[in-house]
Amino acid sequence: MNAMRNCFIGLALVVASLTSCQKEYKEPAPDHAFSVRFRPVVQETDNILEFGKTYTNFFNEPFEVRTFKFYVHDIKLINTENGYTFSVGKDEHFLVDAADTIGSRIDVKVPTATYNRISFKIGVDSVRNFSGAQTGALDPALGMFWTWNSGYIMAKLEGNSPVTGQPSDVFEYHIGGFKAPDNVVQQVSLPFPSPITLRKDAETEIIIAADVYRWFNGVHDIRLDTNPVVMSPGPLAKKVSENYANMFTVLHFISYL
Amino acid sequence: MVTFRWTILLAAVLFTAGFLVNACKKSGAPAAPPTTPLTFTVPDGWPQPLYNFEGNPITKEGFELGKKLFYDGILSKDGNFPCASCHQQFAAFATFDHPLSHGFDNQFTLRNAPGLFNMVWLPAMHWDGGINHIEVQPLAPITAPNEMAEDIANVVKKLQQHPEYPNHFKAAFGDATVTSERMLKALTQFVGMMVSANSKYDKVKRGELSFTADEQKGYEIFQAKCASCHTEPLFTDNSYRNTGLPLDPVLKDYGRMRITGNSADSLKFKVPSLRNLYLTFPYGHDGRFYAVRDVLDHYSHGVQDGPTVDPLVKNKIPLSDADKFYLQYFLRTLTDSTFIADKRFGPPQ
Repeated sequence: MNAMRNCFIGLALVVASLTSCQKEYKEPAPDHAFSVRFRPVVQETDNILEFGKTYTNFFNEPFEVRTFKFYVHDIKLINTENGYTFSVGKDEHFLVDAADTIGSRIDVKVPTATYNRISFKIGVDSVRNFSGAQTGALDPALGMFWTWNSGYIMAKLEGNSPVTGQPSDVFEYHIGGFKAPDNVVQQVSLPFPSPITLRKDAETEIIIAADVYRWFNGVHDIRLDTNPVVMSPGPLAKKVSENYANMFTVLHFISYL
Repeated sequence: MVTFRWTILLAAVLFTAGFLVNACKKSGAPAAPPTTPLTFTVPDGWPQPLYNFEGNPITKEGFELGKKLFYDGILSKDGNFPCASCHQQFAAFATFDHPLSHGFDNQFTLRNAPGLFNMVWLPAMHWDGGINHIEVQPLAPITAPNEMAEDIANVVKKLQQHPEYPNHFKAAFGDATVTSERMLKALTQFVGMMVSANSKYDKVKRGELSFTADEQKGYEIFQAKCASCHTEPLFTDNSYRNTGLPLDPVLKDYGRMRITGNSADSLKFKVPSLRNLYLTFPYGHDGRFYAVRDVLDHYSHGVQDGPTVDPLVKNKIPLSDADKFYLQYFLRTLTDSTFIADKRFGPPQ
């Protein structure tokens, strides 16, 4: 009888090990290669940002960009017609770096279905801001972590402008903060120009414009002469995040067979 | 016979289970070398630590790697400033006899280096509480331009290219890849193991020794006048308080307000532990008090009132000369001479 009981334990182990192999995805299986490519632009969606080139913001302040990075997580593909949502997962963080074409692309796997909207969060999930040493996109060696006031820089825009009055004319927007009321994590939800049905055996890329022009105005006025440096959490960082939450536009899709 | 058949079946089932479990693992990776687990012991009567090494199991290999890193100038820009340059074991891992420590390029640090012990009980690190997790603390001194003045990515690169470190990372973490996460976890294993709980005070609490009459008197004064902030057994309540120290015009250090941006936190600093007090002089966030007596004099007649000064010290703490005499006898019982002689925490041999 004892052996029989042991055997049941063994069977339970087999079942447990089989279960542990299964990923916690909903049906259908996420087997479709889907990429989100962010295209850094200035003011117009076809005006691709060039580093070191001089642009003018809403307040007629000339500026050039040296660094443009932001974190993305909690990506969801949504069909508002039938209520279906596929979630990539809250834990998957991606650092988008406009300086290189690989770094500005996020690769995920999603189920083939019809979708008409994408949503994601800009920033790093609050829990991950006090979870200690981490790696991958959240590696502090990537320069997106405040070492003296623990927490991630969730979006970064740096460059130069003659109006800043700072050494070497720099402006630096290091936007972070994960505690209320100055939590800068922003929810973004973008409709597609038209619904897209992902094809089996194809890869799909969605091109989303990320407009640095929108950092300076929209919801709040952020002028380079009065606010050339934002480097700590607080109401000002929150305002900048409320501006750049509106910097995205879905442009089009590309399908690769 | 029936039992025998069941046994065969059981073996088959277990074999299959093992196979399936293995099938989940990534294939092709060589088996990780075995590690030797170390045990973290919570002293009797102490609360459970806030950091419990979950997700960072302590091993001899990880601990030794952490120790090597702690004592190695490779973490600093010019190689001259290991963690141990400001955290000296004979000073309970504070900087001996220095109000401010020395960093890269002949610069002073902003604040007095605290002793390192009982770190896993701290909800936050630094005088202003800016560090919210023990594992990420080393990033602050490594990158501060007036401390170790390095860049995290560059430290990782130097360690990866070093003739010895990749082997130590392999021994501790299974392969030779150096990452900031592994470096920080190894340092945490080393520093997190530093528990100081063997002072005379502890021995008295354990019933192994007893206080002298003077120490006992001092303990009673301590309990009446100091213990509301310097709570036993860790001798801090980990709160942030303004104890009425006037702002240093050069350092312009507003303490906790730097982190919260809240003017109500202006000039507040973390209540430090009083353990190993006599090893960690000078005192105060900027080391402005050279002797314990100076600190006691501050509380009895030096406190400068201001909008954020703590109610408990606002009207000063009435301490007679006799009180101060006895208090110092008691405070000396907080020195843990075993901790500062513990070879586990000394430089790698």
